[in-house]
Amino acid sequence: MKNVTESITHWELLKIEKPARYLGGEVNQAEIKASPDLRVCLVFPDLYELGMSNLAIKIFYETLNSHPQIMAERAFSPWPDFEDLLRKKDLPLYSLETGTPLHDFDAILITFPYEMTFTNILNLLDLGKIALKWRDRSSGPLVIGGGPSASNPLPMAMFMDAILIGDGEEAIVEICETLIKAKKAGTDRSTTRSELSQIQGLWVPEFAAPVKRRVFKGFASSTPPIRPILANVQAIHERAPLEIFRGCMQGCRFCISGYFYRPKRERPVESLIEYAKQLLQNTGEEALGLLSLSTSDYSQLNELITAIDKQKLYPEQKVSIPSMRMNESTLQLLDSTPHIQKGGLTFAPEAGTQKLRNVINKNITEDDIISVMQATNGSDYRTVKLYFMMGLPFETDEDIEGIVALVHRLEAIGRTCRPRKQISLSLSGFVPKPFTPFQWSAQADMAELRRKRLIVTRGLERSNCKISWREEFLCLLESVFSRGDEKVGELILKAWQLGCRFDGWGEYFSREKWEQAFAETKIDSAQYLRERQIAETLPWDFIDFQTPRAYLEKEYQLAAEAAQEANNESAS
Amino acid sequence: MNQPAECKTRINYSKTLQSRYVAHLDTIDVICKTLRRLQLSYAVTQGCHVRPKISFGPPLPIGHASYCEYFVITLNQEPDLEWLKGALNREFPKGMEVISIEHPWSDKKSGSAGEWVQYKLYFRSEETAGQARSYLLDPNSAFEVLRKGQKKSYVLGKAVQKAELTEQNGNWLLTVEFIQGLADMPSVSKIVTALAEHLGSSRDDFYLLERTALKEL
Repeated sequence: MKNVTESITHWELLKIEKPARYLGGEVNQAEIKASPDLRVCLVFPDLYELGMSNLAIKIFYETLNSHPQIMAERAFSPWPDFEDLLRKKDLPLYSLETGTPLHDFDAILITFPYEMTFTNILNLLDLGKIALKWRDRSSGPLVIGGGPSASNPLPMAMFMDAILIGDGEEAIVEICETLIKAKKAGTDRSTTRSELSQIQGLWVPEFAAPVKRRVFKGFASSTPPIRPILANVQAIHERAPLEIFRGCMQGCRFCISGYFYRPKRERPVESLIEYAKQLLQNTGEEALGLLSLSTSDYSQLNELITAIDKQKLYPEQKVSIPSMRMNESTLQLLDSTPHIQKGGLTFAPEAGTQKLRNVINKNITEDDIISVMQATNGSDYRTVKLYFMMGLPFETDEDIEGIVALVHRLEAIGRTCRPRKQISLSLSGFVPKPFTPFQWSAQADMAELRRKRLIVTRGLERSNCKISWREEFLCLLESVFSRGDEKVGELILKAWQLGCRFDGWGEYFSREKWEQAFAETKIDSAQYLRERQIAETLPWDFIDFQTPRAYLEKEYQLAAEAAQEANNESAS
Repeated sequence: MNQPAECKTRINYSKTLQSRYVAHLDTIDVICKTLRRLQLSYAVTQGCHVRPKISFGPPLPIGHASYCEYFVITLNQEPDLEWLKGALNREFPKGMEVISIEHPWSDKKSGSAGEWVQYKLYFRSEETAGQARSYLLDPNSAFEVLRKGQKKSYVLGKAVQKAELTEQNGNWLLTVEFIQGLADMPSVSKIVTALAEHLGSSRDDFYLLERTALKEL
């Protein structure tokens, strides 16, 4: 089999930005198996630097390559300059390990990390010379997707032979073993898909049957990836990642991750200390990243950090904790541990008033933020980052004005601190997600989101805080994808045909092309943004997400009651 | 408390295959991670942001293979040179390989008078190789470089000292000696890019370039 990279000349590579992205050969790359029973390509639909930081790719790469019958390779979305080169030379997209064209694999396993990569997924298939729709594929690899943005699989249903809902660690091995059996038996594609549909969590569009979200119950006793590949181009997160627990029991009513990764499963502290050592020995990364949805909720965080700090393997070693809910006790912990990478202080109050924070069940108070800010007086922390959403259910203008008031108050405190604090504010439109209590809520339209954003920016005109926001049209698109049905697949296909890709990248996102795609497919976004009735059947109701619908209804009702209560109080 | 005796060690290595497309800063990162994986006892800088005491040779342009790359690291103990060479080769990515280790090493460079570098340029046809030789040996060969929207003109002048053409297994090898790093003198990277442009459609006959020797003047 010819290695595609041999068809690209030295001078062509030199015209490409960061050619090392496309050549493989990194440290800890898997040994090439001479004749494996199954060859799969793990595909990440974004740039190499992002994909190489993705934990799912690391988990699956190590899991599958430790299986004696399977060889797993990798491919990432090429940047447009390299895409142009491949198309100009009529070369297929290939894997980094052996330069094998995607269409020569037995299966393509694609991670759906976020909705804005959907057009990249189509682009990857097309570049790999694989037919886009599963019905049009009579030969070549089976294409299987999964990941947090696949919790509602319908928008991508026409492109995928199967989509995994939930955790992938066990399911991916079962999928590959089923494919090995089918390959050996010479089973046809439809029968293979039917066999795949028997795997718990795997939804096969051809046999659209109810499916139950897969939960990896053995997570706590499982071994994390301890020999991850090291990127040859600086990755977006330069750290050795160690997932300390999965799941989050904070119960924020808007958060899909909180529901997607349930229940909370912790790895024991003794195992984590040993994994940390092995990870650092095998990677030589300067920082060890303790990952989870909310690291402060790890029950033995103090013991873990202290033990890792004591077993120092090299002088530069640091611990990085990216998702820390800040309060005075976590701050004390960070300050008492010398080798912790200290970024800025980050808070995600999400809403401007306590009333709305109660509605969305966000467990952070204004006093928490203020006391942490006061406690950092005289310390190294210089920046305070605040994340807010607009257009939340039961939100009023008073809540938006609350954002302005909170920032003013924090700035006043920041001015009294030494060094002075620089506040930066990130605003984003709320997007209702399926399988959350707010799955029935309306998505605020663009004009409304813009009006609310202007209340904040005008209110902070004289402030020194830096403000950034997510474009309202992106929120609308994400909402259509999140709560979309199978028709949304036509929209994605049309947008890709019109040239959309890298929609999450400001320099490539084209609102005009997406608007044209809506117009040409006659899809009315309002249909997807509207409020849903509780009694209504939702397109994704065929999925048992392992959180009862009655529970979500109850939570939605509690949110409504919290809002009502607050309104009554303010009226009286 | 006694400080450990610090000793400088120079590691000479090659950078070929895929590794030649890894940029200089990324290569530094790769080397630092390799040293940490080996858990060598090395000296570190003082201050808030601890860094190993390590210095690197001049940056190698992306795409150039090299057999004369090096870094100098300050170790806290006498190294076992055989072990160190084997361990580094085991841990380096594909295309990077230790050629030799010099220990103890004392810096001799002045760093002020540029560098003398020798390159081997490989061609598939004698005609293209000859054309390249003529271009390089003509001190009046001129080219323009666009940088941040500004055009800058260069002439080769004395940048090319020597260019010898020989046949090697049916291919043609041009061994060229350059001086770079002096004011107004174009770097080898710029010259080679200009040469490729000059060759036009024959450019793909010029298929490999290797840095084979480097001396700081």
